[in-house]
Amino acid sequence: MNKNILTAGDKDFLEESENEHKKKKRDSTREKRRRRNGRRKRSSSSAEGEKELKERSDYKDREKPLCYGSMAIFNLSSEQETSEEEDDKETNDDDEVRPECLSPEELEKLKEAVEEKKKLIQSLKGKPWPMKKKLVTLRESQEFVEKYEGALGKGKGRKLYAYKVMMTKKWVKFQRDFENFKTACIPWEMKIKEIESHFGSSVASYFIFLRWMYGINMILFGLTFGLVMVPEALMGRPYGSIPRKTVPRAEEASAMDFAVLWDFKGYAQYSVLFYGFYNNQRAVGWLKFRMPLSYFLVGVGTVAYSYMVVIRTMARNANESGIGDDNSFNFSWKMFTSWDYLIGNPETADNKFASITTSFKEAILEEQESRKDDNIHLTRFLRVLANFLVLCCLAGSGYLIYFVVRRSQKFTLEGLENHTWWERNEVNMVMSLLGMFCPMLFDVISTLENYHPRVALQWQLGRIFALFLGNLYTFIIALMDEINLKRKEETIVKFNITTWETSLYNSSMSGNVTAPPVTIHPADVPRGPCWETMVGQEFVRLIISDTMTTYITLLIGDFLRAVLVRFLNYCWCWDLEAGFPSYSEFDVSGNVLGLIFNQGMIWMGSFYAPCLPALNVLRLHVSMYLQCWAVMCCNVPQERVFKASGSNNFYMAMLLVILFLSTLPAIYTIVTIPPSFDCGPFSGKNRMFDVIQETLESDFPAWFSKVFSYASNPGLVLPFILLMVLAIYYLQSTSKSYKEANVELKKKLQMQNEENKKKNKQAALKAQMDLEEARKAATQAAEHRRNNNASFQSQEGEIHNSYSIIIPILILQQQQQQLLLLLLLLLLLLVLLLLLLLIIIILITIITIFSLTKCLYI
Amino acid sequence: MVSPAIALAFLPLVLTLIIRYRHYFVLFYRAVLVRIWKDCATGLSREERVYQYVLTHSTPGDPDSILEAFDFWCSKVEYISNIGPKKGKILDRLLMEQSPLTVLELGSHCGYSTIRIARALPLGARLYSIEMDQRNAAIAEKIIRLAGFDDDTVELIVKPSDEVIPQMRSNYGLERLDFVFMDHWKKCYLPDLQLLEECGLLGKGSMILADNVLFPGAPKFLRYLRKCGLYEWKIHRATLEYSRGIRDGMAELVYQGIK
Repeated sequence: MNKNILTAGDKDFLEESENEHKKKKRDSTREKRRRRNGRRKRSSSSAEGEKELKERSDYKDREKPLCYGSMAIFNLSSEQETSEEEDDKETNDDDEVRPECLSPEELEKLKEAVEEKKKLIQSLKGKPWPMKKKLVTLRESQEFVEKYEGALGKGKGRKLYAYKVMMTKKWVKFQRDFENFKTACIPWEMKIKEIESHFGSSVASYFIFLRWMYGINMILFGLTFGLVMVPEALMGRPYGSIPRKTVPRAEEASAMDFAVLWDFKGYAQYSVLFYGFYNNQRAVGWLKFRMPLSYFLVGVGTVAYSYMVVIRTMARNANESGIGDDNSFNFSWKMFTSWDYLIGNPETADNKFASITTSFKEAILEEQESRKDDNIHLTRFLRVLANFLVLCCLAGSGYLIYFVVRRSQKFTLEGLENHTWWERNEVNMVMSLLGMFCPMLFDVISTLENYHPRVALQWQLGRIFALFLGNLYTFIIALMDEINLKRKEETIVKFNITTWETSLYNSSMSGNVTAPPVTIHPADVPRGPCWETMVGQEFVRLIISDTMTTYITLLIGDFLRAVLVRFLNYCWCWDLEAGFPSYSEFDVSGNVLGLIFNQGMIWMGSFYAPCLPALNVLRLHVSMYLQCWAVMCCNVPQERVFKASGSNNFYMAMLLVILFLSTLPAIYTIVTIPPSFDCGPFSGKNRMFDVIQETLESDFPAWFSKVFSYASNPGLVLPFILLMVLAIYYLQSTSKSYKEANVELKKKLQMQNEENKKKNKQAALKAQMDLEEARKAATQAAEHRRNNNASFQSQEGEIHNSYSIIIPILILQQQQQQLLLLLLLLLLLLVLLLLLLLIIIILITIITIFSLTKCLYI
Repeated sequence: MVSPAIALAFLPLVLTLIIRYRHYFVLFYRAVLVRIWKDCATGLSREERVYQYVLTHSTPGDPDSILEAFDFWCSKVEYISNIGPKKGKILDRLLMEQSPLTVLELGSHCGYSTIRIARALPLGARLYSIEMDQRNAAIAEKIIRLAGFDDDTVELIVKPSDEVIPQMRSNYGLERLDFVFMDHWKKCYLPDLQLLEECGLLGKGSMILADNVLFPGAPKFLRYLRKCGLYEWKIHRATLEYSRGIRDGMAELVYQGIK
């Protein structure tokens, strides 16, 4: 390509020198044109100015030959312009060519020029030119192609050609529109992109995470809604038909009050929203829908699906983040990868710029500090102190929650009606408040430690995680206590009911035998305290109060603050915007953790309250809009904008941990505690999972249950597990060896790279020598034709030529290396994925086998 | 009735606020509470107290010892928002580099910055110091004379700055100011700067140094600087005088004129 250009330039140059007699004429026309231009620009028409202008335009003309086509056209046009009449006709555009009045040779030339331009556009990226020049050339050649592409060909062929060109253009446009349409179809894509451009990718990653969460919850909601709630509502017995589906007489008066409904009692409690409403009828409706089985399987399925999705996403993300962990080229990484190209807002760009400079400064300082020994004892002491303080804080918050839960138990024993709203909702309030304020305190404490911000962020996340986890588990332990209380109550109620029934029977028997049996309204039947519904209610309340606190803090902490800062700033004695309150920043880590723990609560509670996924979908939907709005209207971009690409998998890992930790208590309650005797789909059974056994016995043919019982024989299961363990061990060891091999290969590549560098250096030296020679030759040539002013181009062309040899070699090598690395990484990832899947399968099988063996022995 | 447990849950928030904004609380205590207390206890104003202290603890005629006494009093005893030793060093350096002949100071307060500027001036230079408050000006006058600067070097003008600046040319025969130091009301930074521009007192290369542009802060002033394009400017970041944790800055402007 470069050669072509060079020859083109040379050709032009030769042409120019040959057609010297034409030059005068051309010059005169050029000057005329220039004068016209000058008039257009209203510049002064003094002789000096004109001279300057002429010089400049001459220079321009000299530069132009690099793009051969335009020069050719220029020649064409200038030839055309030799006739004065045509010259006068042309008004603005100097390069106007009418294809009709061109001879076939010229047309051919034009065609060639267009092709040349197209090629130039394609290969422009790899040219060793400055960006400005590239942009200018690109624009020029695009304009050129656009102008003359449709004009080529002749007669019918031309029309067809024009038609074809038009169609391709339309097609491209349609494709682009379709792409736009596709992005418009992705929910909230534009919103997130806008936020990304304002706040950088870290904030956007939160919203992408939120959207992903929303999708998962949609599916969970679909499962519970379609397979549990709707069948029960449509095909199950209607409200008021049996005791568990009616509000008891004592509560009837206040069952529709808003305060009661807000606490999810009254009519809300005796509806499809909670576990207690479901009947233990084996098959409902004309479809013979196996309701209890469906309930159980949906409960297990939601968890299994969540595991699957989280792990799949992790595996997919691991593919992307596997490369950036290299610490050996710290400064190079910083140099070439720290800019966030999605930023589109000047303020954020400023912040990003500042953060990059500070990160450079810090890195240099770190580098310096790593070489000399600082007062390590002081920093160590401070770090220990900070951790001690954080531990104190955690213990304090844990104790406070424990205390509150104990108190609330006391309140429930005394009767909730005697206490105020504040006292009734104490647990949720305290948990939300602590979850909100303690992270702030941790943040303040962490300034003591003097860590690198990335490390500090990880510590911070870990601490908040510990806090939330502690809070959640305190809550669960308190719930367990309450479950035990309820179960004690249940045994008493059971006894009472039997006595009540016998008394009823006796009274009906003692009277007239022929009289119709006494019908009792289901609302009057005494019933047990349904602990499953209680658990579900607690979780729903927790979610609601959590959501409320999130929204209220958003409104007060962000919106109100922003309003105050914005409008009080006119009449305040210091600068509110830059100084003390300022606008708030978007707290990515806190928000992500909040979301994750919220999801954990959903996973935990959705077995006992099928309405939870629906509530969560609602919450996520609202918070998507609310937070998008709040971010855009009341937050400022972070001072340290950091890239989020590496943190996605971190979030996912936390989600996985939470998923595991939240399924643990749910599974524990399902497996160990017998269900209530008079409510829920599993009433009357010894354990909830007896449903499966029942189904196996009655719905499947006999041989199937036989096979199943054989398969679940410990003698068969244990060897299987052993085999699995062995397989895992094998896979792990192979992955380890792969890793080692990877490291070795990396080293090898580095060595090779260094050698190549040396070689390249030699090649470059040689090229430089050649260049020098060429330059000498060029200067000699230039001396020959100094009056022609054209030596400049050829020199430049030579330079490009020599560069163009070296650069492709380098690029090729890099590509090879990248390919190798990528292959290796892929291999590794595959192995890891297999490993993870195996672990999950084992987990699930262990759980099922455990339960099955238990039920077999029972 | 809010239960005590909920109130306890707010404890981390309170702690966070206290720790995060401790410097501001300390500043509030030193600059406001102690001042009110001492005003009531001694019956003297803060400026009179510092004058007494400086009078008894420094050598007359020696600007350095007076400045030292000031610094000690402001950092250990009570608080007065002088320019302080750290930012004062920047001021000294700029003055040494510029060596201006006519200097205008807006807001002399107790005369600390006046002494600092006068100390760094070359021979034959003249400093006009403007102070609005009568009592402050009286003390500033005494302190300046105590430091040994006579009327030829330092001229104290007791008037509001927006009245004095338009009259500078006629009353004091000034053509051009080489250096302007602003440390008066933060709200007046912008109007006074515009007044200086209007009156043509700024020439190409005139330097303006504005203190406390970040805390308490002069946002409009900074916004104007960003927009107008008349100045080459930068902000020297430092901390607030006699306090470590509060960030503050001085804006250094060099007048370029209309291009």
